[in-house]
Amino acid sequence: MNTLYLLAVIVAMGAITFGLRALPFLSAHWLRKSPITRHLGRFLPLAVMSLLLVHSASGAAREHATGPWPELLAIALICVLQWRSRNALLSIVAGTAVYVLLRNWH
Amino acid sequence: MPTSPSATRLSLFTLTAPVAMGYVPLGMVFGFLFVQAGASWFMALLTSLVVYAGAAQYMMIPMIASGMPVGAIALATLLINMRHMFYGLSLLDTFPRSPLLRWYTAFALTDETYSVLTALPRDTPPRHMALLALLNQLWWLLGTLLGAAIGTQARIPLDGLDFVLCALFAVLTVEQWRSRHSPLPLWTAIGAYALAATLVPAHALVLAILLSLLVGLVTYKKKGG
Repeated sequence: MNTLYLLAVIVAMGAITFGLRALPFLSAHWLRKSPITRHLGRFLPLAVMSLLLVHSASGAAREHATGPWPELLAIALICVLQWRSRNALLSIVAGTAVYVLLRNWH
Repeated sequence: MPTSPSATRLSLFTLTAPVAMGYVPLGMVFGFLFVQAGASWFMALLTSLVVYAGAAQYMMIPMIASGMPVGAIALATLLINMRHMFYGLSLLDTFPRSPLLRWYTAFALTDETYSVLTALPRDTPPRHMALLALLNQLWWLLGTLLGAAIGTQARIPLDGLDFVLCALFAVLTVEQWRSRHSPLPLWTAIGAYALAATLVPAHALVLAILLSLLVGLVTYKKKGG
């Protein structure tokens, strides 16, 4: 992978992330008075995370000719497990195992 | 309040241990997938050092694998990490005063570090906050290193193992849902992706992110006060 590209990505992501975290220490006043950023801070993470989920799931489904059922089933299992157990490792391992089984069975 | 140094060390370790339980394995997942995507272990470590944001780091893997432009990745990072803006707000008064410690602790404000710091007793010396933050990042770096090391050695030929990333996104979505039971972002995402994938399939993700941002801005309703 192109090193320069990767470095640019890492620096950009690092700068933005640090910038966001440092904002209250630089301008708490503005932040408190800007309710729209609060709204976006509530809206966007869930939206973007769901997007990533849908995007990666549809990508995985498109790589296989036999329909998206393994993806849908595995994701459903993961959601239920995570909701009840709050154990990320359990949900990920169980869901991926089920998925791999389903995909490799035939 | 006199506390012996060893008692303090013990209690700090007790606080960081649960974070380690999560950060080491999840760091390993990141490191592993990162090198499997074609990057070096050094870059994996650099990412965990410089970016230090779990969800964003996982998100970046398929993006760099597909060569997404830096600007698009930057925008996605901005949107996904926006909530971090508010973490410092509730910790402003308790933070260390010395510039190095202050800025490092601010830098290291991940979701988990934030929860641990807000749970600390009021009279905790600020130095300890910085130390705790550092310990947490060290676990993350350790996990990354281990995962990357395994990833460079092992090529597991099972179809669908890269589903791990999708599984991770599902877990993170559930956790986001747990803290915000708001269906609007969810429906926005599904709608935006469906639209974007129909219009411009090659750039569906970026377009969908922009559409979601638009919806987020448009749905803001000014409440009195």
